[in-house]
Amino acid sequence: MLVVEDDLDLLLLMEMVLSEAGHRVRTAAEGRTALARVEEEMPDVILLDMRMPVMSGWEFAREFRTRHGRACPLVVVTAAENARLRATEVGADGWLAKPFDLDDLLALVSRLVRERGAPAAAKP
Amino acid sequence: MSRHRGSRRDGPGSRLNLCAVVERGAQRGAAQLSLLRSALVLGPPSDNGAVRGYTQEVDRIGLAPTDQVSSARRAGKRRGAPAASRWWKRLPWTPGRIVVVYAVMGALWILLSDRALLALVSDAGMHARAQTFKGGAFVVLTSIVLLELIRRRERGILSFGAEVRATVDSMVDAVLVIDESSRIVEANRAALELLGAATKEEVLGPVKDLGLRVQLRYLDGTPVPPDRFASIRALGGARVQGYDALLRRHDGRDVAVNVSAALVGEGARSRLAVAVLRDISAARRLDEMREEFLSTAAHELKTPLAVIKAYAQLVQKRIPAEAAALEVVQRQVDRLNRIVHHLLDTSRLRLEPDAGPREPFDLAALAEEVIGRERAAASRHTLALVTAAAPVRANRERIARVLASLVDNAVRFSPRGGAVEARVEVREGQAVVSVRDRGLGIPPERQARIFERYYRAHGGTPDDYGGLGLSLEMSREIVSCHGGRMWFESAPGEGSTFHFSLPLDPGAAA
Repeated sequence: MLVVEDDLDLLLLMEMVLSEAGHRVRTAAEGRTALARVEEEMPDVILLDMRMPVMSGWEFAREFRTRHGRACPLVVVTAAENARLRATEVGADGWLAKPFDLDDLLALVSRLVRERGAPAAAKP
Repeated sequence: MSRHRGSRRDGPGSRLNLCAVVERGAQRGAAQLSLLRSALVLGPPSDNGAVRGYTQEVDRIGLAPTDQVSSARRAGKRRGAPAASRWWKRLPWTPGRIVVVYAVMGALWILLSDRALLALVSDAGMHARAQTFKGGAFVVLTSIVLLELIRRRERGILSFGAEVRATVDSMVDAVLVIDESSRIVEANRAALELLGAATKEEVLGPVKDLGLRVQLRYLDGTPVPPDRFASIRALGGARVQGYDALLRRHDGRDVAVNVSAALVGEGARSRLAVAVLRDISAARRLDEMREEFLSTAAHELKTPLAVIKAYAQLVQKRIPAEAAALEVVQRQVDRLNRIVHHLLDTSRLRLEPDAGPREPFDLAALAEEVIGRERAAASRHTLALVTAAAPVRANRERIARVLASLVDNAVRFSPRGGAVEARVEVREGQAVVSVRDRGLGIPPERQARIFERYYRAHGGTPDDYGGLGLSLEMSREIVSCHGGRMWFESAPGEGSTFHFSLPLDPGAAA
């Protein structure tokens, strides 16, 4: 699992919550680092903030799709008014509107991981 | 006396019928004035100051070019044209006045010339020859005077025509004149500049050819079909509301324009359409900047809210004893979130409450789309939809949001799940949409204020389920901008039904 978010507090929280739910979580604070993480190891879900410095969520999504196609589900986590629109713009597999419910986050992530066929725990 | 003698040498002063020439000139002047009026009236409504100024100027110049040569000359004086100083040079030479002068001259001649002749020529034999000479002299004199008066009239008309042309040429918007065979026959300077053409010849010709050459497209990139060109529709009698389009200049650059057209009114001999193209690039850039700003603001405000809410939930799970307090924290975060959302939304919508393109579409089809999307998000509710075809002409995106907001409210305020029924029907010539839930309902004492900005019937109560859609106030505003109404019925414990109506599209097939 890869969480890409430029707000440190939110990033740490998401890492904590997802870890406690049994996922192995890696983090990145912006798109370029996130791409590097993906190169190291393909995660089973990517949670992606949209507005980030250096490389934004849109740019990351474009790069990721170009290089890796649909190798991994993308979830857009966005403060935008129309989260659904953002998600379709980027061809994402799910979306979360900030501020979100932790339960919604966990439910969405579990579903995507399950659909991907990887067991929820013990896999990156 | 005649300043322009040289220039008229091969003009209408030749063997052509002078009266016919004069008449054609007058009609040309009137046609050009009608042209200008049409062109001015089509200016975008937002630029009222400029349009008013132009229209006032045109009204000052007046409707009948024949009567206003003097004002045109006065205006010409202000614009630095040479001024005529003698009163007889300033008189507007209408055909009536020319004939009166002729008649007066003729009468005076008849009355006086015989006596003068008798006085001058006493010899009876010379009398006959003198009479002939007198007749000839009369014809020569009146010919000269008539010629001069007619020339003055021509000049007046042409200078008026030149004034009108100069005004159209100085307009900021591109103006094209299209004749009834759909050929562009006139283009002002702004049109040449907009299209990046060096000469008028590059622009004249069939309007379809120009449309193809500049790759006229809607903003989404789809080409504008020639039968939808504003000028062609205007020639067909439709009143064309402006539409936004992209065109490619000669230098390859794309320009966004608003295109509108209308038929030229009374006075013109043949059917002409006037098309006005206004460059909207600056307006679009401003729109983009505003969107960018709003997007940044949303992000800056919502991210901290996300953090607070998430930590509150986290702590709530870890310290169940404090669940109630943390529940309050979350509710307040939700409330802040709604306010932020509403502020951003409202600023976007308030900046231009009635803006956005209106297009014809079927409200039933839109409802299918919206309900489909909402179904995906509402796992504990059943969303039923009953429709009848209801063609309307409206801002599709905004009406979709109004509907989505009503459905969202219906879902949120039926917290125990259940059925939400949406219905699209035609009643009394209006399209009516209803959304019914069987949830909490609205207490009667709170119903009166339901459309107030920021008012929440369940705010601050345990039943405060938030809501991120458009506020009811905004929804109602959007609906009433379209000429519709919004109303509701509700009873606590039984649920609520919200309705809104929109006028049917008069242009749609029955």
